Amino acid sequence: MNKKLTILKLDPMHAFGESSRHSEKTWKEIDQYDLDQQDLSNIDVLVISNFVDQEYLLKQKNIIENFLADQKIVVFCGHLFRMWLPGVSPFIPERVQTFSDYEVFTTNNDSGIFDGVTTGDMTYNKGVAGFFARGYHPVSHDVEVLLRFKSGHPVTYIDRSSSAGTILVHAGRDLLGYSSNHKTTGRIPDQLYTWLEREVQTHA
Amino acid sequence: MRKIGVVYSGNDVHYKTFHEPKFNQYIHKLIYLPEFQNTSLDELDVLVVPSQLHKQLLLEAAPKIHAFANEGKIVVALGPQPWNWLPNQKWEERPTNFWWWLEKNAKSGLIANLPEHEFFNYIPLENATWHQHGVFWPPEGCEKIITAEDGGAFLYIDRISTKGTWIITTLDPDYHFGSYFMPATERFLEGFFPYLAIGNI
Repeated sequence: MNKKLTILKLDPMHAFGESSRHSEKTWKEIDQYDLDQQDLSNIDVLVISNFVDQEYLLKQKNIIENFLADQKIVVFCGHLFRMWLPGVSPFIPERVQTFSDYEVFTTNNDSGIFDGVTTGDMTYNKGVAGFFARGYHPVSHDVEVLLRFKSGHPVTYIDRSSSAGTILVHAGRDLLGYSSNHKTTGRIPDQLYTWLEREVQTHA
Repeated sequence: MRKIGVVYSGNDVHYKTFHEPKFNQYIHKLIYLPEFQNTSLDELDVLVVPSQLHKQLLLEAAPKIHAFANEGKIVVALGPQPWNWLPNQKWEERPTNFWWWLEKNAKSGLIANLPEHEFFNYIPLENATWHQHGVFWPPEGCEKIITAEDGGAFLYIDRISTKGTWIITTLDPDYHFGSYFMPATERFLEGFFPYLAIGNI
């Protein structure tokens, strides 16, 4: 039961990733284009973030679907525009009248991923709004929303109904990439990891 | 009007930026990077190489991009370029000045080094003003259009390193417009595509 969590992240091999590419991480990374060669049998969680080539992912849709059919977890952070992830609708930018419309609110949920993370720290950086998310993926099906805009649009949700596995969809940047000692958003990667461990256990 | 080709990574920001109708109408051919080697560039006059491309595919594409330039054509490179593939490339990464505009007596650090240049007829300096990720140190004889105070180039034109024309900038409007950030980047692209299509380059 108490097996170690194995996370695989697709690396888009882009310039912004260069500085952290060779630093020590708690997950394994592969070139995004090696997904179709990769043995996923020992992987619990696939993390796919913005900058990834979604045209390529669409061609590998079966790999993602089979992975989820094995009751595993996919974490997607970004703006989806190709239909490679079951149940996810294309990204829509949030319509804002004022900068505070970008404020992000935690729902009453038991995932723990955003526990203690404040609306202020998620929304604003030096008084500028909208760093965390600027839009959403519309939902009509049975999902657990973790974060919403004031409008009610879901920024982040968990979908356990579109596949046998679990899909975490976040309409923003890589949630594992937040690191801060002085902002509550710095709590997200550890809390996400804890949630992933728990989610893997429920499928074990 | 010049025929413009744009290299497309398949990522979300490039999808948004290059499918935006007002920019897309200036794009003769969108070339998906994994298919770049098998795509003809013959009919193109300009090739735009955006920021944040896949390292290996970009480096593999570089000889073909140089060959295109050597036909006397125009190559545009956007954004930080940590890997050597541009002619006589000297890239210096600098801490990104995300917050310059919140400081007292704010200075963006951008200087219109050649204020009479045709470029500024399409893109006034304020439309090229957001943060920067670093500078280039171009070879002697290049046109340094937008520079830092110390002479490092944010945007320059190199007509001497190859037989073609290279418009090289550290600015990455393709990324910021596509991520719904930084309104100046939209104004930059509104001027930049017409400049590439009909400007006196």
